[in-house]
Amino acid sequence: MNVLLTLRILGALLLFLAAALLTPIPFSLYFADGAAGAFLAAALVSLAAGLTLYKSCQSKRELSVREGFAIVTFGWGFFALFGALPYLFSGAIASPVDAIFETMSGFTTTGSTILTEIEGLPESILFWRALTHWLGGMGIIVLSLAILPMLGVGGMQLFKAEVPGPTADRLKPRIQDTAKLLWGVYVLLTFAEVGLLMLGGMNFYEALCHAFATLATGGFSTRNASVGAYDSAYIDGVVTIFMFLAGVNFALHYQALRGRLHEFWRNEEFRFYLFVTAGAMGLIILLNQGTVYDSFFQNLRYSSFQTVSILTTTGFGTADYETWPVLAQYLLVFLMFVGGCAGSTGGGMKVARMLLLFKHAQVQLYRLIHPRAVRLVKLGGVPVDREVMQSILGFFAFFMGIFVVASFLMAASGLDLTSAGAAVIATLSNIGPGLGSVGPVDNFAHVSAFGKIVLTLCMLMGRLELFTVLVLFFPSFWRK
Amino acid sequence: MKILIIGAGQVGYFLCERLSLEGHEVTLIDRSQENLRRAQDRLNVLGIAGNGASAETLEQAGIKGTDIFIAVTDLDEVNILACLLAREYGVRTRVARVKSIEYSGGGGVLSKEKLGIDLLINPDDAVADEIVKIACRTGAFDVAEFVEGQIQFLGYRIGEESPVCDLTLRELGDIRGMYRFVVTAITRGGRTIIPRGDDVIQAGDSIFVFAHQKDLPAIQYLLKLEETETKKHTPRAFILGGGRIGLRIALELERMRFDVRLIDHDEARCEKLAAKLKRTMVIHAEGTDVDVLVDEGVETADVFIAVTDNDETNILCALLGRQHGASRTLAVVNKPELLNLAPTLGVDACISPRLAAAGAILKYVRRGEVLSLATIEGSNAEVLEILVPKGSGIVGIPLKDLHFPPGAIIGATVHRDTYEIPTGDSLLQEGDRVVVFALPGALAKVERFFE
Repeated sequence: MNVLLTLRILGALLLFLAAALLTPIPFSLYFADGAAGAFLAAALVSLAAGLTLYKSCQSKRELSVREGFAIVTFGWGFFALFGALPYLFSGAIASPVDAIFETMSGFTTTGSTILTEIEGLPESILFWRALTHWLGGMGIIVLSLAILPMLGVGGMQLFKAEVPGPTADRLKPRIQDTAKLLWGVYVLLTFAEVGLLMLGGMNFYEALCHAFATLATGGFSTRNASVGAYDSAYIDGVVTIFMFLAGVNFALHYQALRGRLHEFWRNEEFRFYLFVTAGAMGLIILLNQGTVYDSFFQNLRYSSFQTVSILTTTGFGTADYETWPVLAQYLLVFLMFVGGCAGSTGGGMKVARMLLLFKHAQVQLYRLIHPRAVRLVKLGGVPVDREVMQSILGFFAFFMGIFVVASFLMAASGLDLTSAGAAVIATLSNIGPGLGSVGPVDNFAHVSAFGKIVLTLCMLMGRLELFTVLVLFFPSFWRK
Repeated sequence: MKILIIGAGQVGYFLCERLSLEGHEVTLIDRSQENLRRAQDRLNVLGIAGNGASAETLEQAGIKGTDIFIAVTDLDEVNILACLLAREYGVRTRVARVKSIEYSGGGGVLSKEKLGIDLLINPDDAVADEIVKIACRTGAFDVAEFVEGQIQFLGYRIGEESPVCDLTLRELGDIRGMYRFVVTAITRGGRTIIPRGDDVIQAGDSIFVFAHQKDLPAIQYLLKLEETETKKHTPRAFILGGGRIGLRIALELERMRFDVRLIDHDEARCEKLAAKLKRTMVIHAEGTDVDVLVDEGVETADVFIAVTDNDETNILCALLGRQHGASRTLAVVNKPELLNLAPTLGVDACISPRLAAAGAILKYVRRGEVLSLATIEGSNAEVLEILVPKGSGIVGIPLKDLHFPPGAIIGATVHRDTYEIPTGDSLLQEGDRVVVFALPGALAKVERFFE
């Protein structure tokens, strides 16, 4: 581990965060909400800390695998710490643990909140919540890769550590160009949604906040009742479509924008994603028809919104799914584990991993019947590397292990059985709302400080896909 | 015609033999004096020692007046370079044998036009295509298609239990009644004859039949070859050997909805095969491992295809497959001596890459009036598809008055959409496509007959 180099790059990332902290100030001045000072102070603190680290730590060595893991994990930790400053300075959130929980929930695009009353808060603070989503969605490190030339060498390590999914697509030979392309697509889709939402009657500020939260599959809203507050079928429809798109591999969007629409259909993960979405939607609509909703149109509108919101791990709400039949809720819990596609902004275990797990199980059974047969797990006709398959099996085991341990800890912190499990999966998969006392109409304010720390860690591990964080706990990581 | 052949290997030798028999002027170039001597001693060809890709040697062989240039050495690069040279000398038809997929596969940067080659022939692909054709025809050991597949030329082996055994052709004619087909040849003890009405079909014979595609099921029925199982389940094929030939056959049979099981002894190769194939079951085992074959259901196999690099392995494994219940066995055999031996052992069909490649080359260089052509396994006989040219003297005269060359027989004529199994009273018309079976000595006469 090269500590000096790690700290230097972390310093550079903080400078970047300082710049991001300045962006809510125009909104603060426009709405005259009085929070501008808090943002300026937070930016100055980040700037000072960043400059100190950047200037004092000099190293001529280059990035290696280990620094990559440390930079990404600690980088996200730093963002959560310094990003929490505006909440504390402006007095919007009093407790540091709560503020860090809220910031981590923002950056990891989880969307779980400890705020009970959102609408009374300064507009710039709400904008900052949405902005943390947006920056975390495509990945702050990926963004830095595109901007900071010093990360060029060994950047693939950082890129892989942050981009979700078992393997990372490289669209261009240079990693910086790949990062720029992905962010370009992301910005384009965001502004497309802003435009469509404004057509539906939202003002620019609200449209921007909701587009940020949709494309990042975050889930923070500027209203207490989330997207449901607008009570517009048009807005529900637009948000549903963009949530679905945000759950797709952004490399595919890039191909589609270049006119190669058929790439969507040729991608096996996308087909499976479509199949899971349509299948779950169909079943839930069937279960809700006549029991919860009498009108088919209402049923379609609310059921599809909620299914896509949970599957893509966004977590917006237009309906209280806890009033739905138990079987429908159970389906949603299953979707919570699945998550979005690899290379999307969604969380969870990722569609590709689930698909490969199914295929792997199928091959195992096949081998029992035909012991001499050679059969490979394929994705889209291409055989999957044995190492990738093993890492997926490992990921699954770790994911379930962490789910069990964290649920146990949450139960110890005083939550009931359903809420404990749901709180963990809602944060580990970066969804937002869970079930029980942390359900769609509740929030996380009542969870104990210990519980909030556990969930904060779950969010971080979920967003960075376990391994990046877990290797830091491995003793040999720190040895020379 | 003046023909120049580079490479006196198996394919080259075979081509020399066929083309010189037909009276063409054949010159053969090879580096090895010994190969040349062998060819010159037995065949009516001129041998020239030297490098086929050298302009000097080519000029010495008289390339300037050559009509057809065929490069069939073992080296792709030599063949390609020789063809480029031949183009510079203004040779009209250039043929090269190319093994590497880089040159022969579609979509490559170097197309055959750029390389100056009219026909690229890959023996592996040629043999794979032939095996696939045979595998799809129940009972037949040799298959050739004419007139876009309408007319089928099929070879069947007659066993003692066959219902047509010990019948004369006249008696067979009485039984077949409405079935329209003609027995054009019988191969017995390595000799091929064109039978007459009182010739008897004996056990151990191979008979060659012309028939229209529509009548195939009737023939299968008549010969008691129709397998009731094939109708119930998807046909199952075992392929032994996952080389290029095996892979190509597997891909093709997969496309035809066969249930394919491909066996190879190399694990790394198995993984590559599994990556390329979709539904085929790839099995890592030795071909002689009977337990594995039985476990994977060789007794339900409709066809067992042995295509490893080794002739002996292919023949032995094909016999093993047969012993354990495979309905039909096919084997790739390279050595000419084994080619004639294998059928007597009980392998249903032996296919030689050499013959397959040579057949494809012959078919190409003879195009013109000859539309299509097939060479017959185990004999030198050929089947030709000929277009009756405009203003031909044979139009409108009954066949029996035409003095059709002996040693040849017309199997079928196709006039636009109708076809006919001709009799002595049949008339030919302009534009008819005629399928003719000819023994080697009669080939040139047949071609002259239609001119």
